[in-house]
Amino acid sequence: MVTIGRKKNNTTFRAIADPTRREILNLLRGGAHTVGDIAVNFRTSRPAISKHLRLLRSAGLVVTRKDGTARVCRLNAKPLRAVSTWLREYEAFWGESLHGLKDYIEKTERHREENS
Amino acid sequence: MNPTSVSDIIVQEITIKGSADRVFEALTNPDQRVKWWGAEGRFQTTHMESDLRHGGKWMMQGNGMGGKPFQVSGEYRQIERPRLLVFTWLPSWQENALESVVRFELEEKNGITTVRLTHSGLTSETSRISHKGWPQILSWLRSYIEPLV
Repeated sequence: MVTIGRKKNNTTFRAIADPTRREILNLLRGGAHTVGDIAVNFRTSRPAISKHLRLLRSAGLVVTRKDGTARVCRLNAKPLRAVSTWLREYEAFWGESLHGLKDYIEKTERHREENS
Repeated sequence: MNPTSVSDIIVQEITIKGSADRVFEALTNPDQRVKWWGAEGRFQTTHMESDLRHGGKWMMQGNGMGGKPFQVSGEYRQIERPRLLVFTWLPSWQENALESVVRFELEEKNGITTVRLTHSGLTSETSRISHKGWPQILSWLRSYIEPLV
């Protein structure tokens, strides 16, 4: 059956539901950026960007380290695996269900022909 | 079997030697549905209730992996026997789940029925945040993130 670790994955889904946060992740895919470097790419205020980054950090999607006075952000894509796994589980679920339907119909169909 | 998934939509197709009417019956008749809906060792459907009319409720119960009980329920949205069946899908294993939509399209030709399944609105199942960007999110995920993980 299709299951998903609830709390943790909800955080992941929430984190990527916002377009600005997805943009940030996209940016970080190209390499580590300081908070300042990230903020200049957006019209949004720097405090707002910081808030997005905090959420991304709490979701484990962004990891930061201090470099002098600057804070450097890096992408950690691992939590996203849960999202694609969940989707793949659903695909498997429907695949198995449809095969079950096919087997059932074709078996009973044969049975009918044999008995007629 | 040809699974393709675009964004948060799952589309799968299978051809069955049998009439569309028989397939439709197997989908909607509780006695028949419990006979096929399951996968050995993964999940098994044990009970189904079905009020087959527009707006009518349906539900099915069973056991998942390790005997864990599950329940899925929903409402019939479109019934055009034997070529179309649309119902909502609300699983018990998701907290705060919103309904997603399952659509079965049946096309019969020379006694062979092509069954096309579309499950859409999947992401609403995991999140109450409604957001138009979901389709992009998941395709984005697949194409860019997976190789990195």
